[in-house]
Amino acid sequence: MKCEYDKERLTYLLNNPVNDVERIALEEHLAECLDCQKEFEQSQKLWAIMGEIPKPVPSANMRTDFYAMLEDYKETVAEKNNLLTSILAKFKQLWTIQPALQLSYSFMLILFGLSMGYFINHLNVRQASNQEITALSSEVQEMKKMMMMSLLENPSASERMRAVSYSEEITEVNTQVVDALLMTLNNDENVNVRLMTLEALTKLSNNARVREGLVQSITKQDSPLVQSAIADVMVKLQEKKSIKPLQKLLKQDNLNEMVKDKIKQSINQLI
Amino acid sequence: MDNLSDNALMLKVKAGDLDKMGLLFERYHRSLYGFLFHMTNQKEASEDMTQNVFYRMLKYRNAFVGDGEFRTWMYHLARNVLNDHAKKNIRNKAQYDIKDFEERIGGSTLADEQFEKEEELNMLEKALGSLSTENRELLILSRYQELSYQEIAKILDTTEGAIKVRVHRAMGQLKSIYFKINV
Repeated sequence: MKCEYDKERLTYLLNNPVNDVERIALEEHLAECLDCQKEFEQSQKLWAIMGEIPKPVPSANMRTDFYAMLEDYKETVAEKNNLLTSILAKFKQLWTIQPALQLSYSFMLILFGLSMGYFINHLNVRQASNQEITALSSEVQEMKKMMMMSLLENPSASERMRAVSYSEEITEVNTQVVDALLMTLNNDENVNVRLMTLEALTKLSNNARVREGLVQSITKQDSPLVQSAIADVMVKLQEKKSIKPLQKLLKQDNLNEMVKDKIKQSINQLI
Repeated sequence: MDNLSDNALMLKVKAGDLDKMGLLFERYHRSLYGFLFHMTNQKEASEDMTQNVFYRMLKYRNAFVGDGEFRTWMYHLARNVLNDHAKKNIRNKAQYDIKDFEERIGGSTLADEQFEKEEELNMLEKALGSLSTENRELLILSRYQELSYQEIAKILDTTEGAIKVRVHRAMGQLKSIYFKINV
């Protein structure tokens, strides 16, 4: 009869507690199965001998060695921690103070560079443009003077009027211009041109030469319009020197009646 | 404090209370030494290895998660140390057990009964020594470390059923060797 008892279980039972039910079953089986009986006895015997091997006992050194090692280890851990914290602290320093300094320094450098660049550039541009503008404007002034001079000799009345109007745009009026204008006032054949010239000269009345020229020009005028206009200008400028030429003008025979009244009025106002 | 479980103590060590390792040492250094000595039969080397296992517990304390048994973890570390030791001593492995046996046999000038017992034990140790490392380890864990199949299964990373089969086979092998010499 082939035994179907779990042989591995037999080995297991060597080292583990058995409950009563299993023990009874086991004992019953062992009683009738010699193979299992033999095997189990052998196992038990061997197991028992194995147990007789004296328990290996470590030497006393082991304990002291262990505690020495533990202390040693604790120290290295503490050192490591110290090292770690010191390294961390150094890193913190590196990343806080130094960069702050460097950063502000570089920032200031950038700012300085920018402002310097802007300043220099600005200065250059301004100087250059200023120079250019003054040169240009003086050139324009010269051109205008030239234009005016040449235009005053133009046969067309309207061109001459334009020349007179240029004189108003000329900022620095020199004697040349004043003389040219006075010439026009005295000699131009067109009444309108003469009136306009008078107007232009009135605006330049701060100039002594202009005032003198105006006074001298009183007697030279033959158009009633210009005569009355020049009388008005004299009143406006309160030019006392003009009284004599005006009285002289009154004595002219061909003087318009209305102009006569006008001049008398002006003389009265001037006195 | 002594009533704390192994796991609780090891977790304290992990948290930085390294002195608690002392308590674990007191609890386990004997059985650990026993395991290593049975495996190698070398006194000094076993002491060094025991020390090494506790050192590794400190060093790798952060790897201890606490969801498994401390003892399982300890045997894992011990087996690693044992492996390293075996690799290092692969050349003088052959002479390792014989030397200790010879010493014992040579020193026996005792009474017959005692001599017989001594002889018996020598035979057994020889038989154990001739087992494969795997089988020897299984029997040591089961007989001398008094671990349950379940615990052995965890240490060797296998199932309880497999351990049951393997322990039986190892036992069978040991029996056949021992009784063959002894008869």
